[in-house]
Order: sequence, then structure tokens, then C-alpha cells
Amino acid sequence: MRIEIIHEIASSLRNNKLRTALTGFAVSWGIFLLITLLGAGNGLMNSYMGNMESYISQTVLVEGWRTSKPYAGYKEGRRIQLDQKDVDYTKGTEWEGTIDNVTLTTTSTSANLTLNSNSVNGWMTGVMPDHQRQSKIRIAHGRFLNHDDIAERRKVIVVSASQARELVKGDIDKLVGQWVKAGEIAFKVVGIYHTDESEFRRATYVPYSTYKGIYDRSDKIEGISFTVNGPSSLEEHRAFEEKYTGTLKRRHDIAPDDKTGLWIQNGYTNNLEMNKAAHILRVALWILGILTLISGIVGVSNIMLITVKERTHEFGIRKAIGAKPGSILRLIISESVCITAVFGYVGMFMGMIACQILDKTVAQDAVDLGFEKVQMLVNPTVGLDVALEATLLLIIAGTLAGAIPAWKAARVKPIEALRAE
Amino acid sequence: MALIELKDINKTYNNGQPLHVLKGINLNIERGSFVSIMGASGSGKSTLLNILGILDNYDTGSYTLDGKLIKDLSEKQAADYRNRMIGFIFQSFNLIGFKTAVENVELPLYYQGVPRKKRHEMAMEYLDKLGLTPWASHFPNEMSGGQKQRVAIARALITSPQIILADEPTGALDSKTSVEVMQLLKKLNKEEGITIIVVTHESGVANETDTIIHIKDGVIGQIEENTSHDAWGGPLMK
Repeated sequence: MRIEIIHEIASSLRNNKLRTALTGFAVSWGIFLLITLLGAGNGLMNSYMGNMESYISQTVLVEGWRTSKPYAGYKEGRRIQLDQKDVDYTKGTEWEGTIDNVTLTTTSTSANLTLNSNSVNGWMTGVMPDHQRQSKIRIAHGRFLNHDDIAERRKVIVVSASQARELVKGDIDKLVGQWVKAGEIAFKVVGIYHTDESEFRRATYVPYSTYKGIYDRSDKIEGISFTVNGPSSLEEHRAFEEKYTGTLKRRHDIAPDDKTGLWIQNGYTNNLEMNKAAHILRVALWILGILTLISGIVGVSNIMLITVKERTHEFGIRKAIGAKPGSILRLIISESVCITAVFGYVGMFMGMIACQILDKTVAQDAVDLGFEKVQMLVNPTVGLDVALEATLLLIIAGTLAGAIPAWKAARVKPIEALRAE
Repeated sequence: MALIELKDINKTYNNGQPLHVLKGINLNIERGSFVSIMGASGSGKSTLLNILGILDNYDTGSYTLDGKLIKDLSEKQAADYRNRMIGFIFQSFNLIGFKTAVENVELPLYYQGVPRKKRHEMAMEYLDKLGLTPWASHFPNEMSGGQKQRVAIARALITSPQIILADEPTGALDSKTSVEVMQLLKKLNKEEGITIIVVTHESGVANETDTIIHIKDGVIGQIEENTSHDAWGGPLMK
């Protein structure tokens, strides 16, 4: 029976080659666009996620900023400076079990790094070893600062690859172990962190304790960063931020509703929000793709209606010799599903090829944003799951497209049909 | 009990002006008979044939086929009865154009759910019986009218129906082929004992049958026992 139906469909499609091809094209086009859109969307999201990864990590960073509202007798525009008391609060019993891995960043000081006759500007910052993980610093040569550096207040420095290229000719790895002068003080280079060929990074890292000893003896802190355990949803994180900054705002006389006095960058919520954005983008692309596909489905439905009309006589013959309405219904719907599925797969295949072409062309180009280069698309392809979802969609679409024509065909009265010559 | 029993069949078409087509038809047709229903166009003979073939409903009365009352059947049931009890032969052959001769003959068995191989064998057997083996894989448009009608006859016979209904079976054929087809039907009736009902407006065709039922203005007129044709055996009058 199954083979018979395939045979029936094949012969009926053979009889209407041009029409079948035109209809099929509409479906192919719909699926092609759907797959290409989803692929490009995935590429965009991958690129966005990838680029953001260098800025955002699973930590919360708090820094003092400028107030935007007058409060407690102070004017707006006041610079907020975090200090040791804020650190004590963060590390205090109130947040025990919630806040971990507190690390501190000092304010920065500009200094000229010199080696022999070469010189390059640097932005000296005192940090702790955890800073590497939190800021996702990738070490190209040597190592990052360690706990001994902090404990012994070593005069060691980690510079960027772009700075290293200015200081030594040829291979930059020979800079590791050499002493460079920052202003009047000599630091030993222990590591070089990775930067892209095109970008220039000024930040240089020295041990927190060393920096405090040399450049800034006050208890001022530039930034406090830490990991958070407990909150998981966006709402819980917002509540945590509210509670945490509430106390800090009271300490620094910042209006409770002042949005700029403290700058808080929450890597967790950024990730959550990004996932949400990715989800919305995907849904939007699916809707666009499906809307395109609908025009294809309407095309198939239309063609099937015409086919049914043309084949009225044939259905009459079939019914006269014993075809039940159900078997006619099945015949038309299978035909519709067959057209939709075959051409849909052609479209899907072309879409996947288009994604591959995108991957080989556009995805290879980087857009220069001035301070760094960004790949617009990263791996713009769709997975097997999307292919399976699209298959399901095609079968449903084919059934829907065939439903009305099939119902019409099944209702053909044999005598009416035999009369129609 | 007769194979076909029609009791006071009435049928009215309601297309704007009501048209009373069949006005109380009473008719019994015995198993194994070779009958023609003859009448001019508009006499109601086609409507009667459609009712006999369960292609159309009637309003009042009763139609019993092989002891089964054929009334208010569901489409599914009607299709099943048509498939198992009735073989159709049409004026315009009504073969499916994109199917070969053997596929056309197989089709009624397909709807009975007979396996592919089995029904192919049976179809080839019937084509052989009608001398069409060389044409088995040809499409209808590659065959002559007579060949097409023989394919249609093979298709009608393949389910071993109770009756064969032939609607103007020679209407689209030349006179020589017409004679051949009528001879074939006669032979099937005499040798296989199949009940055959031919609907025609041609007296020459009707003359080939054993009983001629005249229908006029929706009522059965004269029923003529036709014994002359065997002795006479003359050419078909066109």
C-alpha cells in the first residue's frame, strides 16, 4: 500500500512538472530563508557572546562613579571614592557565604615604560591574582601575578603584547625576565598578556601591595570585585544588588535612587540578559522564517486545489470502482506532504550551503571598531536540532497545505465527476 | 429471489425547477440474465443506471441487490458495495490516463487491499483472457477504442462482481468494434453466467441482449423477451 501511494504521487507529479517545480520553489525558498536567517542569527549571537566574553565574566565589579542627584547636603556630580571600609563591609559577616573571592583593584597611574631607548605609555594598575580570571586576561608569555608577588610586594609587572612590541624588536617573549623602568622605578617583566595584532592596550598590572606602597598610600580603592553564590534568577540578582549597594550608598551619602553614584557590573545578570536576548532573537528569526514559509504553503495549497479540480474526473472513476473518501484524502495529503518535504529539504540543503558560504566569507572578515577588531559572524550555522524542527515543520506545513484540497477531493460525488468530461 | 429488486423507485432532481425523473420504477432482474434498458435521452435511463450502480440515491421505494437493501448508505459503505458487487463499463471508457492498462485493471483490487504482487498476477490473467497481454504496459492513449473498452471490461470483471453495468458501452466505438464488444459481453454472460445490464438508446445494441426493458418518461414501459437475435445473428444496426 505504501509503495503504491509513492507510485501514485510520482505519476501525478510527473504529469505536472512545471507546476510542481514552481510550487516547490516557493517552499524551498521559504525553508532556505528560514535556515539562512537562523544560521546568520546564530553567527551574530556567537560573535556577540564571543566578543562580550573578554569583558564580562562571572563576577560582580563595583566601582565608585559620579553622583547624579544632590543628597544629604552634597551637590550632584560628586566623585565617589571607595575605600577600605567598603572592602571590610564586603568581606564582612553580613555577606558570609554569599560573597566570595573578593579582589581589589587600585586606581591607575600613567607612567612611561622604558627599556634601553624604547619607550611606551602604560597605565599602571595594582591588582590581585584573581584579577586575571575575572577580567579574562590571556597570558601570551610568562605568567600573571601570583600570591607571593602580593605578599612580598615584588616589583614585578605584566604588560600587554602591544606594549611589548614597542619595547623590543622581534620576538616579544625575550622581554620576559627583563627589567623595564616605569617612571623612575624598575619593574621586572614576569608576563605578557595577549592582545590582537590590531589593538593597543595600555593597562599594565603590578601587585596590589606594591602599588599601594609606591603610588598610593591612602586606603582608596578603585574597584571591588567578587563572586556571588545564591542568587540565580535575574530578579534575585537585582534584589542582591539593591541590598548590597544600599549599604554602600548610605555610607557614601548617595541618594538611594541615584543610578550613577556607584557603578556595578554584574556578569551574572549580563549573561542572563544576553541569553534572554539570544532567545528573543531566535524566536524573531523563526517567526520571520515561518511567515516566509507560509507563502510557500499557500502556494502548495493553491496548486493542490487546481490539481484536485483538474483531477475531479479521475477521482470520480476511482470512487466508482470502490475508492473510499479516506483513501482519496490520504492520497492528496501524502502528495502535498511529499512536495513540501522534498522541496523543503532542497531548500534546507541550500540554506545550509549558504550558511557554509557565510562562514567562509563574511565570518572571516573582521570589522574594525577603532579600538579592536570584531568578527561580525562566528560559526553561522544551524545544528541538527534545527534541521529536525524544520522537518517537523515541513510535515505539518504539507498536511495543512493539503487539508482543504484533500477534503474537496474526498467530497467529489462519483456521478458528478463522471459527468465532467 | 431476484438478484435485483426495485420497488416503486422515485427520484426527483431539485435544481431550481423540481424534475421528477423516475416515477415509480418496479423491476426485477434475475441472476445470470443479459438485459438492456433502452430509452431516449431524458427518459431516466441514466438515472436508473446510477441508482443501480449505487452512484446516486433515490428518494422513495426500495432497491435490493443480492438480498441487501441499498438505502441511505454511508459513502464508505457505498464505495465498498460498488467495489465488491458491481463492475462498470462506460461509454468513454473512464480509464486513468497516467496509468498503464494493467495498472488500471489492478485498481479495484488496490481498494480491496489485495497485495501488489497478487493483484498484478490477477490483472495479467484478465488481460490475457481479453487478448490484451501485449498491451499490458501501454497507456490508454496508445490504444484503440476497442482495446480501451476491453481494458475497461477487464477492470470491471476483476473483482468478480454480481452485476456488470454497461452505460452505452459501444457509444464511442465504430460499428465493427461495437459488434466485437457486444459479442464479448454476450460470451461473458453465456459462458461465465455473469449478470449484465446494458443501458443504451440504440435498438441495435439492445437487440443483442435477451431482455429489452423500455423506459420512457421515468416509467417502465414494455418488457420485451428478445429471442430472435440468436437465430437471426444479423449485423448490428447502427
